[in-house]
Amino acid sequence: MNQLVAPAKSLDKSKTPGALFSTLSIPIAILVLVVIGSVASPSFLTVNNLTNVLNANSAVGLIALGMTFVMVSGGLADLSVPANVAMGALVTLGAQESMGTGLAALMGLLVASMGGVVNGILIGYLRINPIIATLGTGSVLLGLSQLLVGGGIVYAQPSALSTFVKSSILGIPVFIWIFIFVALILHPLLARTSFGRWSLAVGGNYQAAQASAVPVRFTKAAAFAMTGFLAGLCGVLLALSNGQARPIIGTGYEFVAITAVVIGGTSVFGGNGSVLRTVGGVLITALIGNLIILLGFPSQATGLITGAIVLGAVGIDAYFRRKAGRL
Amino acid sequence: MTTESTPAVALRMTGITKSFPGVMALQDVDLEINEGEVHAIVGENGAGKSTLMKILAGFYQPDKGEIEVGGRKATHWTPREARSRGIGMIYQELNLVPDLSVAENISLGAMPKRGPFVDYRAMNAKAAAVLDELDTDIDPGTRLGDLSISQQQLVEIAKVVARQPNIVVFDEPTSSLGDKETRVLFDVITKMRDRGIAIIYISHRLQEVMEIGDRVTVLRDGRHIETRDVAGITPDEMVSLMVGRDLNEMFPKFDLELGEQVLSVVGASRAGQFDNVTLDVRKHEIVGLAGLVGSGRTEVARALFGLDPLEEGTITLAGKTVKIRSPRQGVAAGVALVPEDRKGQGIIPGLSVRENFTLPVITRITNALLIFLGKERKIVTELADRLKVNPPQVERPLNVFSGGNQQKVVLGKWLLSEPKLLILDEPTRGVDVGAKADIHHIIGEFAQDGGGVLMISSELPELLAVCDRIFVLHEGVISAEISRADATEESVMRAATGQEVAA
Repeated sequence: MNQLVAPAKSLDKSKTPGALFSTLSIPIAILVLVVIGSVASPSFLTVNNLTNVLNANSAVGLIALGMTFVMVSGGLADLSVPANVAMGALVTLGAQESMGTGLAALMGLLVASMGGVVNGILIGYLRINPIIATLGTGSVLLGLSQLLVGGGIVYAQPSALSTFVKSSILGIPVFIWIFIFVALILHPLLARTSFGRWSLAVGGNYQAAQASAVPVRFTKAAAFAMTGFLAGLCGVLLALSNGQARPIIGTGYEFVAITAVVIGGTSVFGGNGSVLRTVGGVLITALIGNLIILLGFPSQATGLITGAIVLGAVGIDAYFRRKAGRL
Repeated sequence: MTTESTPAVALRMTGITKSFPGVMALQDVDLEINEGEVHAIVGENGAGKSTLMKILAGFYQPDKGEIEVGGRKATHWTPREARSRGIGMIYQELNLVPDLSVAENISLGAMPKRGPFVDYRAMNAKAAAVLDELDTDIDPGTRLGDLSISQQQLVEIAKVVARQPNIVVFDEPTSSLGDKETRVLFDVITKMRDRGIAIIYISHRLQEVMEIGDRVTVLRDGRHIETRDVAGITPDEMVSLMVGRDLNEMFPKFDLELGEQVLSVVGASRAGQFDNVTLDVRKHEIVGLAGLVGSGRTEVARALFGLDPLEEGTITLAGKTVKIRSPRQGVAAGVALVPEDRKGQGIIPGLSVRENFTLPVITRITNALLIFLGKERKIVTELADRLKVNPPQVERPLNVFSGGNQQKVVLGKWLLSEPKLLILDEPTRGVDVGAKADIHHIIGEFAQDGGGVLMISSELPELLAVCDRIFVLHEGVISAEISRADATEESVMRAATGQEVAA
């Protein structure tokens, strides 16, 4: 069982300029951002600032990790993320009084996961277009959450769990630990397991995957279920640490997650990508957001700048795909 | 068109050289095509035919060399320029929009307008005229996706013919056509030639080249080897020019003692596709499933593998009656299918050779959690070596490999699943001579090792050479079962066209 993994031979793939570019582009981008940041502001390259930046992006980063599977398997994107974040948060705080914080948090996770499972069934098994399906479930769930709380704010009660969520271990906030933990599970899931291989195959050529006995429907559905769960986790964590939640708590998170995945170089067309790249994408988006503020741009410019970067990333992806297709 | 006694040169390509990173694709290739001739180009995959044609179509710029069309030197050669100078391309792969009508596809990019709106009446009339010229009975109003692949190909041809080109390149045009459609196509090509159009005809089917070609150019390893009159060359000579050696055994056939039954199908039916099909395959046996395009061959294959499950009938595999309602159940029961549509259903283009190879069996090389990458690499490297996958770089994405090598990978991935029954639907379509021999060899070895093979092919000589027995389908019904000894092109064809009904 203890297979010695053969030393990776010089993989021919990495020799092509496109592949080389995509392997090195993330570390280079991060390096460039760090250099710009250190030049721009003395407060950028401080443990405090960087920890804050990562901490603030860890929750939404969780969703990006799940969204990676959605995109890789050819499921485009999950637009119901804000609704599942809201569900996770509101159910947790709403049920806190009656069942205690721990159970309530599990309840929140469960409800959000259910939302993900419904997406999965609609998209994987009934083969409805993911954009339409998740737009629909998102509207329904968000509407439901608004109905539940009447549009108001739900407040948390103090609990050991929320104290823990807000604390740090070894000087690093729990949020970041959770992000690292989930990434460490999901990266090998995509890169090293049968399920991961299926995801790549389904996104690469659905029909051929099906004809190769890959459980195509399950694979596609699971990506959405996973994203629902992680959106719920994001909601639970935010609710506990903020001490309050509103239905709009996750607004815009779907785009932040999509941005991180795409900047990481995972193809919107499906068939390739990696969780590690998404981690890189989360770091890059986080640093860009931070730089925009440090450089004194109005924070309203964030959308403009990240949007432009996403379009650029998609353009480069499309360019290399076309080149590869032609060869 | 000119009507001089010496034929006018429609196209002259001189000294064409093109290299890609690490590969010299074309080296100093000359090609001269006359008006009103069918000029065949033959060569193994990778010989440079596709590259040469892509240069002609303007998709690639040559590193060196000149292109002259109708006596005028081509400068700034782009796909648009090539098209406007009257060059039409008909590729093996269809470039059509399934959700548009036939007429819309034909006029795509150049729709007749009335004011700002598409003039549907003119468009349909134009399409009808072209389709009529091609002797087809396709209705211009049909949704393209509702047509069979061979009909779609005729639409593709109509699309090019509608632009009234001077030079038309046919790249493997008959690979998805049956005999009748091929006849129709040849009539069309002959008509086009007689109107003075220069035809470049690329095919692996040398019989077709003999039949339709006036001259033939042989390419090998990116070089021009020879251009000859077809009247003065035999298929065998062509083959030896193509491979640079004599190919004695195109279809090696092992003589094997047949074993017990691997597959028995009784009374298999699917409404509108095939009816009451009964057939069997034994150990060590290669059984052919012949029939015209649309006879239900592919549908039977898909049903046995579980892609479109049977509505009636029983399948018995190695003595056990099995229910196969999905490819997963098919694989579990020991069935494998190499599909007809390699690009659509066979390969995952962006994944590496390694990842394609192990896809159906990936759960067999994992522990509870992870894939054994070392073991996977070892299995795959050995298999690639055995199947002569070229280049032997298993980490490369499959889409950079030639058709023949892609097909080897599809075949190999099913060998890895260790099936009892291997179903092959057109396993050598669009595959060059060398790879074809390799593939036949692989199939033969599989049978030798105790497997049963059910093979579909539109190429009768191939079936006759490889198969121990042939079942013939005619309009979804088995019309004959012919033993190797009795099988001839005539006997199979008679049964396939329904002139001879099984007793």
